[in-house]
Amino acid sequence: MFEPVLLKNVDLPDGHLLSSYEAGGGYQALRKVLGECTPDEVVELVKQSNLRGRGGAGFPTGMKWSFVPKRTDRPKYLCCNADEGEPGTFKDRIIMERDPHQLIEALAVSGYAIGAEVAYVYVRGEYVTAIRRLEQAIAEAHEKGYLGTGVLGSDFNFAVHIHCGAGAYICGEETAMLESLEGKRAQPRLKPPFPAVAGLYASPTVINNVETLACVPHIVMRGPAWFRGIGPDKSPGPKLYCVSGQVRKPGLYELPMGIPLRELVEDHAGGPLPGRKVKAVIPGGVSAPVIPEPGLEIGMDFDSLAAAGSMLGSAGVIVIDDSTCMVKVATRIIEFFHHESCGKCTPCREGLNWAVKVLRRVEAGEGAPGDLEQLDMLCKGIFGNTFCALGDGAAMGLRAALKHFRDEFVAHIEERRCPFH
Amino acid sequence: MTMREEIEAAAARYPDRRSALMPALLIAQREHGHLPGPVLEEVADILGVERIWVYELATFYTLFHTEPIGMFHLQLCDNVSCMLCGSEDLLTHLEARLGIKKGETTPDGLFTLSTVECLGACEMAPVMQVGDDYHGNLDVVRLDALLDSLRAAAGRFARVEHASAPQPGE
Amino acid sequence: MVSVTIDEHKLEVEAGSTVLAAAERLGIEIPTFCYWKRLPPLASCRMCLVEIEGLRRLQPACATAVAEGMVVRTNTPLIEETRSSMLDMLLANHPLDCPICDKGGECELQDMVMAYGPRESGFRDAKRVFHSKDIRLSPVVIMNVNRCIQCQRCVRMCEEVVGAVALGTVEKGMDTAVTGFEGSLASCDQCGNCIEVCPVGALMSFPYRYKARPWDLNETDTICPHCGTGCQLTVGARKGEFMRVRSDWEHGVNRETLCVRGRFGLDFIESRDRIKRPMIRRDGALTPVSWEEAGDYLSRRLSAVKGKVAGGLISPRLPNEVLYQFQKLMRTVLRTNNIDCSSRWSTPVDALGPLLASFHTRAPLQEVIGRDCVLVIGGNVTEENPVTEYLLRDAARRQQTGLLMLSARPSRLDSDARAVVRVPPGGEAASLAAVAAGLVSAAGPVLPGDLFADIGRLPAATDSDQSNALAAALMEGRSVTLLVSVDVLRSPLARATLQQLSNLLQILYVLGKAPALQFLFDRANQMGAWDMGVMAGALPGPRPVVDAQTRAAFAQAWGAEIPSEPGADLDAMLQLCVNGRMGALYVVGTDPLLSYPDREFVERALKAADLLIVQDAFLTDTAGLADVVLPAAGYGEETGIFTNNEGRAQKVRKFREPVFEARGNLAIFDFVAALCGEAQQPSTQGEIFDEIARLIPAYQGLKQEELGPDGAFTTAALSPPAGEFFAAPPVASATNALLLVTGNCLFHNGYLSEHSEILNTVAEDPYVEMSMQDAARLGVSDSEHVVVRSAQGELTAKLKVNRRFPKGLVFVPENYKALRLNSLMRRGEYPCPVEVHKARATDEVGPFNGSAARADGLGQGMPPA
Ligand SMILES: Cc1cc2nc3c(=O)[nH]c(=O)nc-3n(C[C@H](O)[C@H](O)[C@H](O)COP(=O)(O)O)c2cc1C
Ligand code: SF4
Ligand code: FES
Repeated sequence: MFEPVLLKNVDLPDGHLLSSYEAGGGYQALRKVLGECTPDEVVELVKQSNLRGRGGAGFPTGMKWSFVPKRTDRPKYLCCNADEGEPGTFKDRIIMERDPHQLIEALAVSGYAIGAEVAYVYVRGEYVTAIRRLEQAIAEAHEKGYLGTGVLGSDFNFAVHIHCGAGAYICGEETAMLESLEGKRAQPRLKPPFPAVAGLYASPTVINNVETLACVPHIVMRGPAWFRGIGPDKSPGPKLYCVSGQVRKPGLYELPMGIPLRELVEDHAGGPLPGRKVKAVIPGGVSAPVIPEPGLEIGMDFDSLAAAGSMLGSAGVIVIDDSTCMVKVATRIIEFFHHESCGKCTPCREGLNWAVKVLRRVEAGEGAPGDLEQLDMLCKGIFGNTFCALGDGAAMGLRAALKHFRDEFVAHIEERRCPFH
Repeated sequence: MTMREEIEAAAARYPDRRSALMPALLIAQREHGHLPGPVLEEVADILGVERIWVYELATFYTLFHTEPIGMFHLQLCDNVSCMLCGSEDLLTHLEARLGIKKGETTPDGLFTLSTVECLGACEMAPVMQVGDDYHGNLDVVRLDALLDSLRAAAGRFARVEHASAPQPGE
Repeated sequence: MVSVTIDEHKLEVEAGSTVLAAAERLGIEIPTFCYWKRLPPLASCRMCLVEIEGLRRLQPACATAVAEGMVVRTNTPLIEETRSSMLDMLLANHPLDCPICDKGGECELQDMVMAYGPRESGFRDAKRVFHSKDIRLSPVVIMNVNRCIQCQRCVRMCEEVVGAVALGTVEKGMDTAVTGFEGSLASCDQCGNCIEVCPVGALMSFPYRYKARPWDLNETDTICPHCGTGCQLTVGARKGEFMRVRSDWEHGVNRETLCVRGRFGLDFIESRDRIKRPMIRRDGALTPVSWEEAGDYLSRRLSAVKGKVAGGLISPRLPNEVLYQFQKLMRTVLRTNNIDCSSRWSTPVDALGPLLASFHTRAPLQEVIGRDCVLVIGGNVTEENPVTEYLLRDAARRQQTGLLMLSARPSRLDSDARAVVRVPPGGEAASLAAVAAGLVSAAGPVLPGDLFADIGRLPAATDSDQSNALAAALMEGRSVTLLVSVDVLRSPLARATLQQLSNLLQILYVLGKAPALQFLFDRANQMGAWDMGVMAGALPGPRPVVDAQTRAAFAQAWGAEIPSEPGADLDAMLQLCVNGRMGALYVVGTDPLLSYPDREFVERALKAADLLIVQDAFLTDTAGLADVVLPAAGYGEETGIFTNNEGRAQKVRKFREPVFEARGNLAIFDFVAALCGEAQQPSTQGEIFDEIARLIPAYQGLKQEELGPDGAFTTAALSPPAGEFFAAPPVASATNALLLVTGNCLFHNGYLSEHSEILNTVAEDPYVEMSMQDAARLGVSDSEHVVVRSAQGELTAKLKVNRRFPKGLVFVPENYKALRLNSLMRRGEYPCPVEVHKARATDEVGPFNGSAARADGLGQGMPPA
């Protein structure tokens, strides 16, 4: 049985209060780094841990931090990506609602490491409870000197502000998030310059996901070797898996990185609903290409999934059983991306629009010969050519559905109806 | 705090006043229910930013409403996880019970029905957000109970409003 | 320098250039939509994707910087397929209503599909449709969102270049639409630059819509007649009828941008107020007659005043040849130096001459302001010289030019400035003295003590903090450019202001800041008018009339004597009239009755002249008082040269013959000379051009055939400054009085703009602008009607409260004919002390130009057209 690290407090009755967080050893990591480590040493710990970003892309966190210029006369910023918009994902919400101090401590430690005095937590606006709990926790932390001027008597000043999103998936994309923080329409920015060099208000900025940051205090307390010892060395650590869809026990599971998808779905989440069979699983939120049942042996980590043509993404595991029409799932996914496209670049804005039109028709039994080729062509025109990764995610997802479940698409066109109805 | 004070407090959190636009719009929307032109102008005025910037934001983000909405905004998630767990049937049911299509508001102004993208609560799919609250693991029975309780709450609210309103002849 | 290989061609380019720029150098075309030369790259249309060796994905050429050894390919099958795919996606949602689209025939999407697009599309589903009727965003801007391809050029243009931030983008994804606040652009600059940069027919000019097909237009490259910036533009006319104005990136100081006056204000050409036939005063009324009759009459009247004084006033909006010929006519035929070219101020030639000779830089504005420090003095450049303002903003934002502002009127540019000195109305001279003093003390021992001691010891003005900040910024600058608005010349303190400018420039000179000076004229050919010697005290050059050598040279060239005494300027000429000494006053193309700052006096004077000759294209108020009215060619009906603020000589081309019985100005001068029994030689435009090029050093060597679309620069060797320093003007004692300052607004800069129906439609009603504090003190609020009263008279207009206005300043725009602003002013007194109070219901309001013509339903919301 894997002992939870990130989720250890979430089931405590008052887990969101400072008192229970402190009782469980909270804020020791902050004390430790302020007392014993230089910022560079903290960055080094994170580097050695091989921690990779939990927001989706799996970028090595320590490396990202080390891109922040040491010498600069501009302030540095830490931004926490708590926009959690990837369908199938709810891990950050649970941390923020039930263990907000874990995130606040993580922010303070990380802010100290990169030399930031201000952190903005970009929380999606729907997460009202999470926002309230975080605000309350920030107030408590301030009162106890974990935040504010001279944190815990040191000369480190640190403030955390919440920035509420207002309903736009694209805000999860880090540069769009910066635009949004600056009070603009959330459209991704050109890179370079990368945020670590010129991000928020053109200042050096580190952006990390909630879960990524939450790992940091534990790395500080237990050491990078402990972290690297969990799961594959190149992609290690405890990991939160969000399981949902047509499965007996949907929920949030903390397990080692790299655990086989089948074990997660069948053992931990209880397998398919009675009388049904698993047909396919989306392993990392709807941006991740679907994996048909025979492929469930795959290990749930960045590299294994990438090698199999899918991705770990946000680890939003969506289980689809044999009663479900894949054309419908694919259509819904592309509708989502189409709805959430920020509209900046041509292939994403226009391409997804055409994909939705064709898919809806095919799903409704009004498809025509040539439609699937048209969809293949669209995937080609979109993938790799969009401004940010939103379009890529959409094209990859559609391409996988077309590839693995082409017979279902063909059946819709040939039978002029949905075979599942 | 007045709306202006609240917005000023939000602005103090950022080095640049334009950054406070999103919090300001949320504050203004809480105050006014939705964001018509004059409210957008007022926000622009308080923050000293261009009016068009405010308008851009109010239309870009789905949580901002430039048109009035009902007292209860029923936001049913219809993304993949919820869809797999039956949200489509719930929508059909809601449309039938309320007599409106999604995107519409009931004539009494009580309910606005929308479908929304993933609410980030798929562990309790299907999910619907009403106001600040999430309601999960919904089925038709629970949904009906929820609608009834909202109606009852609206009735209480209306009575309170009514009681505090000056009576004719007073 | 780095070396790159593009399509097998090797090239050395500057580090930091984009792949797109490098390819352009090699003549390799890469298609683009969102890229625009003047704007930072957006990289959103994805048309310019190219292959870069070693990179997995295609990269946008417009935003990718070259790197050493980079190998780029722009013509592989993958790239061709990708381009075609982008176009396919765009086109499939595009309405394809090309036959009725204004852009048909000059549409970038059409051209691009022709060159790179798929021959047929596989998309069969319905197109996206936003609306079925075009949306009227403003009186001049109309939008078809269905056609928009989201390149965002317009929005970026509006914010980054024009600085208006009126256009924006609403909704997201496929619903994204470009529009104004609440769907209206009613309160934008109406410059139409958004229309110009739109690659398709999404943003359109309302006045031009459905009027012509581009291939039916006769296009003429010419120069804007409105202000001294001198923007290049192209007039499209069909069978001599004015249709539209276009501009292009390649040419002119303006590099495609125009302001509302340039883009929409040329329809005055078709104004109904044209004078159709000559007129003479008969039984007290002006009566149309033939040219012969007018000639007979005029020659009789002229001989009647022989022996009395004559005087001439001409508009600085006429071409050099006309101006030159006019002063020559006055000097050699009517034998007088009583000549002027401004109907609003008197030019102190003694103070101006040396300044021009030592510091006036005849060089591209782009270059002059690309230096590291620019001080803008007086006026409101945003409203007076909009395109100059765009360039200044660009310099400040993109080239880190330090902008410094010193003026009574605030302007939009202040927000991009490094230092702003807000001077009290009429306080420019005093503030300049304070800045000079600050500079001397900042420079300290660097300056030779005795010379500057006096300046350093000047009494500090009240705004010393601001002045010191500005002085410090000047001290930091490596090179300094001064841009001076003409409104400093409007005041009786003009001489003092010019003297203080001279002090400041000389200090900068000694400090090694290589100071440059240019004026920001609000009249298209003011610089030319000075160069042509249309001044009482100066011959062409301008060189002093009193200089015997100069006089002799011109006398010889012209074969006639030139009066040796400096003549009377307009002010003095009007005094001569009033004193009963003026025989013939000859007014060409200008309307002093409307613009001279004392209506009562100018009216009395004009009536007192024995003979008033008015030569004009339009029936002006002044023409209404004339004895003889001669119909002249209008703009676009005669060719000639304008010299703009930069000293750039540019050709104004005619696109039709003078209408009705109007004649070219030069022909009319011939006509008048002949009546006096003389013949002016030479007399055609080309010959006069050559004479100017021969006799005026700055114009030497110019050849008319060589004036391409960018014109050519006049040149002058700057003489070292005189080394004379002037005492500071007395600092005006602080008063609580309100002081009225007048000037141009965006939509009207006088005379011509009032004849433009479109400008009248877009212009706001005349207004009175003042600070929030003053408004509060007087108990008046925004949009309310107020009465402005001076010792001379009063007017009523809407109040516009301006948060950025300083206390004590009242501004009313000139050039609203119906307002009769000059009836408030008293000769020699400016700024003008006024009182302001709330209008009572009985106070007369309007009738204002424009308000009646305003299109219904505009302003709020977005009414369908
Ligand atoms: C379209 C899109 C949406 C994204 N949404 C999220 C999100 O909701 N939460 C998140 O943490 N990262 C999201 N990301 C990833 C972020 O861009 C970024 O990689 C991440 O916040 C970096 O943090 P990490 O290194 O800790 O993972 C998204 C990326 C894209 C392209
Ligand atoms: S800035 Fe001046 S020259 Fe240029 S378009 Fe406007 S009025 Fe004409
Ligand atoms: S021109 Fe490069 S992406 Fe549009």
